[in-house]
Amino acid sequence: MSNSDRFRKQAIASDLEEPVEEARNLAEKLGLEPYPVKYWIIDYDEMNELIAYGGFQSRYPHWRWGMQYDKQQKQGQYGGGKAFEIVNNDNPAHAFLQESNTVADQKAVITHVEAHSDFFANNDWFGMFTGGQADEDQVNAAAMLERHARAIDEYMADPDIDRAEVEKWIDHCLSLEDNIDQHQVFSRRLDIDGPAHEELDEDLAEKLDELELSDEIKGEVFDEAWVEKLEGEDVAVNFPEEPQKDVLAFVREHGKQYDADAGRGVEMTEWQRDILDMMRAEAYYFAAQKMTKVMNEGWAAYWESTMMTDEAFAGDDEFLNYADHMAKVLASGGLNPYSLGMELWEYVENTTNRREVLEALLRVEGVSWRNLTEVIDFDEVLDGLEPPAAIETITPATLDSLEAVPDEWVDREALERARAGEIDVSKYPWKVLTYEGVARRHYSLVKRQNRGFLARVTQNELERIGRYLFDDARYSSVAEALEDVDFAAGWDRLFDVRESHNDVTFLDEFLTQEFITENNYFTYEHSQATGQFHVASDAAEDVKKKLLLQFTNFGKPTIAVYDGNYNNANELLLGHQYNGVMLDLGQAKETLKRIFELWGRPVNLLTIVKEIDEHDIEVAKRRNREPEPEEQGKLIRYNGETMTTEDVPWEEVEHLAADDVDYDTKPEEWLA
Amino acid sequence: MGLRDDLDRFREVGEERREDLADFIQYGDLGQSRPGEINIPVKIVSLPEFEYDQHDKGGVGQGEDGTPDTGQPVGQPQPQPGDDDGEDGDPGEDGGEHEYYEMDPEEFAEELDEELGLDLDPKGKKVIEEKEGPFTDLTRSGPNSTLDFERMFKEGLKRKLAMDFDEEFLQELCKVEGIEPRDVFEWARGESLPVSMAWVEEAYSNIPDEERGKWASIEEVENNVERESVQQKIRREGIKHVPFRREDERYRHPEIIEEKEKNVVVVNIRDVSGSMREKKRELVERTFTPLDWYLQGKYDNAEFVYIAHDADAWEVERDEFFGIRSGGGTKISSAYELANQLLEEYPWSDWNRYVFAAGDSENSSNDTGERVIPLMEQIPANLHAYVETQPSGNAINATHAEELERHFGTDAEDVAVAYVNDEADVTDAIYEILSTESDDNE
Repeated sequence: MSNSDRFRKQAIASDLEEPVEEARNLAEKLGLEPYPVKYWIIDYDEMNELIAYGGFQSRYPHWRWGMQYDKQQKQGQYGGGKAFEIVNNDNPAHAFLQESNTVADQKAVITHVEAHSDFFANNDWFGMFTGGQADEDQVNAAAMLERHARAIDEYMADPDIDRAEVEKWIDHCLSLEDNIDQHQVFSRRLDIDGPAHEELDEDLAEKLDELELSDEIKGEVFDEAWVEKLEGEDVAVNFPEEPQKDVLAFVREHGKQYDADAGRGVEMTEWQRDILDMMRAEAYYFAAQKMTKVMNEGWAAYWESTMMTDEAFAGDDEFLNYADHMAKVLASGGLNPYSLGMELWEYVENTTNRREVLEALLRVEGVSWRNLTEVIDFDEVLDGLEPPAAIETITPATLDSLEAVPDEWVDREALERARAGEIDVSKYPWKVLTYEGVARRHYSLVKRQNRGFLARVTQNELERIGRYLFDDARYSSVAEALEDVDFAAGWDRLFDVRESHNDVTFLDEFLTQEFITENNYFTYEHSQATGQFHVASDAAEDVKKKLLLQFTNFGKPTIAVYDGNYNNANELLLGHQYNGVMLDLGQAKETLKRIFELWGRPVNLLTIVKEIDEHDIEVAKRRNREPEPEEQGKLIRYNGETMTTEDVPWEEVEHLAADDVDYDTKPEEWLA
Repeated sequence: MGLRDDLDRFREVGEERREDLADFIQYGDLGQSRPGEINIPVKIVSLPEFEYDQHDKGGVGQGEDGTPDTGQPVGQPQPQPGDDDGEDGDPGEDGGEHEYYEMDPEEFAEELDEELGLDLDPKGKKVIEEKEGPFTDLTRSGPNSTLDFERMFKEGLKRKLAMDFDEEFLQELCKVEGIEPRDVFEWARGESLPVSMAWVEEAYSNIPDEERGKWASIEEVENNVERESVQQKIRREGIKHVPFRREDERYRHPEIIEEKEKNVVVVNIRDVSGSMREKKRELVERTFTPLDWYLQGKYDNAEFVYIAHDADAWEVERDEFFGIRSGGGTKISSAYELANQLLEEYPWSDWNRYVFAAGDSENSSNDTGERVIPLMEQIPANLHAYVETQPSGNAINATHAEELERHFGTDAEDVAVAYVNDEADVTDAIYEILSTESDDNE
């Protein structure tokens, strides 16, 4: 970096000192608890590079980064995709701001980053990676990745190690990147049941033979089973006991590398084991991010919007820029995790607040879940839910009116300081309020875009709420009931949910019919008849199923190790836990080839495919009607030279077939 | 470590994993490439992983105003939120792109050379500029600024070295007891000093009497008096003692280097008559397209002329060239006549020319012998080629290719005939054509 570059970046950095500090203050006021964040100013090229490397400056040498960078450059040129920020899951987190951003952009980014940092710090799934460690607060991802990068670099530079071999080995490991058990706390060495009898060290066996010890002596030191093995008797042994989802760990413990010259598997070298360990650790580290992408992006977008718009963190003159920024982000093509996430969070907030209000209203004299919609005037209710003027508008001139506001909403000490001129409330009005106060100020149900939400409650839901209500205090009027409403209920719930959920549970719980219809979601399926994709269904159940398919297990099929001694020949048997959606067989075969290199002996995969008769397809094309596929069990095997696929009877794959969910959303008379 | 390295690695992987050129030409999708950019599919895009079958998986979309009706076709599967490696925070990433290894024509030509064992040497013809080369020409006169001072100084120095001698030493010699000028002179000559007798005599006579006999012998002088070489003297006294002569002056001029542009015009001729059905058309495309790329890669400047013909010929654009089909009969000479006309714009003195024709060897009677062959002989070109595509096997009156071979012989240096019956023949045909040209074509 030249001096002028450095100065320019420093200048930008010092301009941003205040927004960074105040963003942190505001975030905390709103209830967020982020890790500390270090901000860095970088230029466009540096940003592209960082993104290509997954947000970290030091990664192991590999062509995938080159590929990512290449793709990005092209997208930037042709697609106008503009990267605004990166922040990584670490404590402290590091955030990178592009120097060419406008001030409005930078502020938006900073508020966005603060929310991300809160997510990393509080979501349980991120804790899984550090859970096994002594100091749970220490993530230190950057350090770990850098260590890996250096270690691998050293292996590559080692004259005794063939560099191309190292690269290939990494490639093999990466094929299994997502075949981990992401629901388990990460532990370095997995305690996977090995064979019931310990594997003999071949060397040792030989040596003992050479010694020509008498059986008697051998018997004194070694037990019978051991000796039997020495004698070469076959003891059939099957492991693991339970299907093992962490395939990476399994091959690390029990795999061998395939030695092409020797024509068999041989012990892995230290560097090979080491790289396996490193790739696996990284997979676990990034797993949390992959598993919470929608939540995390939605979370950051939600709080950014609250800070920038609702709390006017964007100055008046910056506001238009900000609106533009948001529009760009939310308009990105396809199903956008930002918008899906944000919409869901807003939905959680609204439904929680709505329930809270309804529970109060249902306790008003004369109101029951049966008659509520007739008896209640929702406009009146909404008026009653509006925040008091003193909280809604805070300026130096209105400070006095805060005297009359309930204690729970006002930070009295800050108010004094504001009166003394130490706090600028025209810029930072929120400083004189408490968390409950800002929650009140930004109460969701009275926002313009949400005003219909309360009245939209379905009869079913009313009934559900009504039936679970305890018949205690009755209110004599709506006004009285509203006084007891907890205005922070929505936000409190948000904070709980962000702690415990991941994308799958998040979607599963909150994706309701109402949400799906409101937001125009639909499913699409492939038609054998036309060879194209068509809209299939807009039923909530269907959309939810389809979405869950994209998220469960990283949107990939679940593969587990079923046998490490298959065919009693130390072959690996993997099973595809079939949920009704087939594997991509081409990819599966290529992946098997990679796994072979890590196992050293033949590898097998049991799966279920859907087969359709050629003839049936012809008929389907003519009649515009989907053909019925037949499910067939398959065994795919790779022995280092040939790939074979054979049909297997249903009994052999029955244990793999799940019948609870049907992911097919094609309706009956679809394209006819 | 570092981006540079990782980008290089990526490029290497692309190189390793892209289709062989031969496979690509014969069976690959030529449609993803543009004239200046050849896109060859990469066999393995990213690392293989266990994934769902894309068709069976389906997906979720979001409508703009309201949900679209059931049954409505959806465009390419939209990027799904679960896609991508998920390591960074960027929204709206594209999934489902095809990876291509991009080649420009130069690289393509190089690779094809290697793969097929070709060696075409593009000739420079038209002089497009006279460049000034290094200043190596010397003349006796010229403007002062181009005076080669160094040369002149060297000459002067040589001269001085040739003529100068240590005067003081010789004066001391004159002081030797009983020495005569003649002795000094002979001694000096013995030392290759360029002194004249006259000078010695004068120096001798200038010696004051008291100093005569100062030295007993020449040896004594040698032992006691330092001799200074001319170089030392010049160093001591400065270069103004180096004489400059007019006859030493030299002035430099730049060499004139002629830059020749390597131009090529490629005339592609195609029979578009009724008999040329889809399969034949495809074979023509697979043969001609790589030829065009190859020549574009080898030459600085390539232009392309496309002629379609049935019984008549007309010029077309590249986009239409491979697709056109007409219903008429066939008269190949019409194309050559048009080619001849169009080539007037590209004079043989300035342009390399390649004339490629393709068809199924059907031609109207006698047209080949009476008109095509004379025209081919008449049109000067680096290479004339005919590609016969006849996947249906030999038809009876399809003899054009044969006749050409009979007339020009199979070893002709500027006429090539190739047969393409199916895809597997394409690369052989390309090789046949590109390796025919000899070096005598000027």
